[in-house]
Amino acid sequence: MARCSTSLADMVLYRGSYLMKYKGHSHNFTLGLGITVFMVALILLGFLWTPYEPDAMQGSLKLNAPSLLHLFGTDQFGRDIFSRVLVGAGSTLVIAAGTILIGGLAGVALGAVCGYFGGWLDEGVMRVCDALAAFPSVLLALVIISIAGSGKYKVMVALGIAFIPSFARIVRGEFMRLREADFVIGARLIGVPTPRILFVHILPNILPSLLSALAIGFNNAALAEAGLSYLGIGVQPPDASLGRMLSESQTYLASGVWCAAFPGVFLVLLVLGVGLLGEGILDRFGGGR
Amino acid sequence: MLDVERLSIHFEDRGRREEAVKNVSFQLADGKILGIVGESGSGKTMTALTIAGLKKQRAVIDGGSVCLDGVDLLTLDDAQLRSVQGARIGMIFQEPMSALNPTMKIGKQLEEVLVLHAKLSKEERRNKVFAAMEDVELENPRELYEKYPHELSGGMRQRAMLAAAIVCRPKLLIADEPTTALDVQTQDGILGLLKKLNQKYGMSILFISHNLRVVEKLCGRVLVMKSGEVVEEGSVEAIFGNPQTEYTRELIAAIPDACGKNWKDGATVEQDEAVAEEIAVWQGEAVADENAMEKDVLEPKKVLEVCHLNAYYREGRVRRQILQDVSFTLHEGEIVGLVGGSGSGKTTLCKCVLGLLKEYDGVVIHHTKRPQMVFQDPYGSLNPRKTIGWILEEPLKVQGGFSKEERRRKAEEMLERVHLPKEFYKRYPKELSGGQRQRVSIATALMTGTKFILADEPLSALDVTVQAQMIELLKELQEKEKICYLFVSHDLDVVHLLCDRVLKVEGKTVTSMYG
Repeated sequence: MARCSTSLADMVLYRGSYLMKYKGHSHNFTLGLGITVFMVALILLGFLWTPYEPDAMQGSLKLNAPSLLHLFGTDQFGRDIFSRVLVGAGSTLVIAAGTILIGGLAGVALGAVCGYFGGWLDEGVMRVCDALAAFPSVLLALVIISIAGSGKYKVMVALGIAFIPSFARIVRGEFMRLREADFVIGARLIGVPTPRILFVHILPNILPSLLSALAIGFNNAALAEAGLSYLGIGVQPPDASLGRMLSESQTYLASGVWCAAFPGVFLVLLVLGVGLLGEGILDRFGGGR
Repeated sequence: MLDVERLSIHFEDRGRREEAVKNVSFQLADGKILGIVGESGSGKTMTALTIAGLKKQRAVIDGGSVCLDGVDLLTLDDAQLRSVQGARIGMIFQEPMSALNPTMKIGKQLEEVLVLHAKLSKEERRNKVFAAMEDVELENPRELYEKYPHELSGGMRQRAMLAAAIVCRPKLLIADEPTTALDVQTQDGILGLLKKLNQKYGMSILFISHNLRVVEKLCGRVLVMKSGEVVEEGSVEAIFGNPQTEYTRELIAAIPDACGKNWKDGATVEQDEAVAEEIAVWQGEAVADENAMEKDVLEPKKVLEVCHLNAYYREGRVRRQILQDVSFTLHEGEIVGLVGGSGSGKTTLCKCVLGLLKEYDGVVIHHTKRPQMVFQDPYGSLNPRKTIGWILEEPLKVQGGFSKEERRRKAEEMLERVHLPKEFYKRYPKELSGGQRQRVSIATALMTGTKFILADEPLSALDVTVQAQMIELLKELQEKEKICYLFVSHDLDVVHLLCDRVLKVEGKTVTSMYG
């Protein structure tokens, strides 16, 4: 199910960016921002209030179609799907955000140092990253979870580590490009200490590429989490997660397609919004070139 | 042959309409060379690109026509235009490295033009390519045929680009600032080549430049443009000898020329002799001054000492020697020029002096804190994401011990000293012009309290009138603050005008010229 969502979102993004990109002003950006803000608002709402308890089971209401009482219908245990989707999306959001935070911070630190200094440090760290990147992120997360145990936050850390190489590589490339820039040489001549050069002088100049990479990372993390939960490893029952809901609704597709449809659509919209936002940032703010 | 009639082009930039070219008209006859001069933003490049059919999509043509032998190029569709480009119009650009495909061999690139425009056998094509290479005076055409652009020197790449442009013997060659990035010797080579091609094949040349001296050397007629309009037009003698409009007079007056003499073609040798005479007089005065100073026990303070410097360049396992036993001393308040052809070792010397290159033996002693540098490209030397105020305050933050208000006050003072308005404190580099950015670079250098600034071609990217202002600023700072400059340039006129003495880098050594 997760793979279906990927292809659909990718297709829309690909076609969309041809249709919607237009000189200067970015439709990608506005649309992406709109969708993302809307989804995040919904999710934040879900943290505070849901129409029903997400775990409350009501035997009599099993597999009800969407109605005014239950906007998204009920699942096989009589739980309100709308509430579960909100809370589940919340889990996905937290995990994805946490992943890019961990992967991003470590990736930026490593990438900056490797890109700026080069030499043996660069070689060494990049080879380790290559080894790490050789594992599919899901597999790597499995390995880490089998050691550390499963659970929401462990998934976050596992995925975060798996994502470090991709951020490090992008940041490293940008730092390599800028380390010989005149203004950087000027800063060295003034006597600016190296950490300041890296993070106060150079880093702001790579923000567009970095933010765009973070957006893509977010999406990959969300989908990876959905995949892991689908496999039963990430978020554990009775907690909700979009991937878990997709997995659980497989058996009931014939009797209650809404059990899969709504979580699926929610996931797609979230990924779409963030993806468009990522593209839009590059459109509007340039790649720094 | 080429008839441009009332050409008008505008840009839409975020809702604002910018007129790039306004009602421009001119003719170019068969076999003649026309120069178009103007400062940045004058519309000259836009005009040239439009004639070549290369204008950007964002630029919209409002009206006018561009007729080549009676056919209006603006009315042609893509396919028809492509048949004209390359075959009847050739174009060369400023930067040969970006004009040549780095992944294709030179020979293949030259052949490609022929494949597109002529029906010839492989043998005939090869012969034409060799002929073109000989025309542009490239040695060993057969060897070069198999080489890639990065294996050639800068001057050779320029010639290769030229060869690609003329291989189909076009009637019109458009040259957009082809000599701007070159040192004088290479410049002269290319200009000579263009003249030769013009005479041999009767090829007309449209030569775009902001360098009036080069235009004076090469062109028969000149068009002066400003802000998209044609300001004046006439023969070279008329324009340079008797300029009619205020703007043209300003442009010509701003050309740096040593000894107040007008720089004319063919007068090079005499000029050098005249310069040498004047310098001898200066030398005499300088010596007298030094004696006087020594008598007063006021010796000029040393700023930089370089002793027995040997510099190397490491290429993998191999270590090549670039400089051998170089020694010189610089004093406070001196402006010393550093000249030398491309590849002479100027850049290596600069890097050693600044401590950016570590592969050297010998001693480099600085008697001032933090030697500073002003770069050639004003567009890369300021951090694009920071305000001017922030950039100026960085040296103070490094030194420490200044409060926020003190820093701001010092930054604003410095802005005034380089004659920039205080309001620039809040602006970003992209809102400033090239000349203004160079002033900020100089201001930042001064903020460190240094007495030594290495200026690496700081004026070559600037327009002539702006150059003149910058020269004044540098002189002012030299007098007031006793700043010592090491002024690297290949513009000998500016060097003669500005520098007290000159160091020449040639054959791995540095010789001191004129004292």
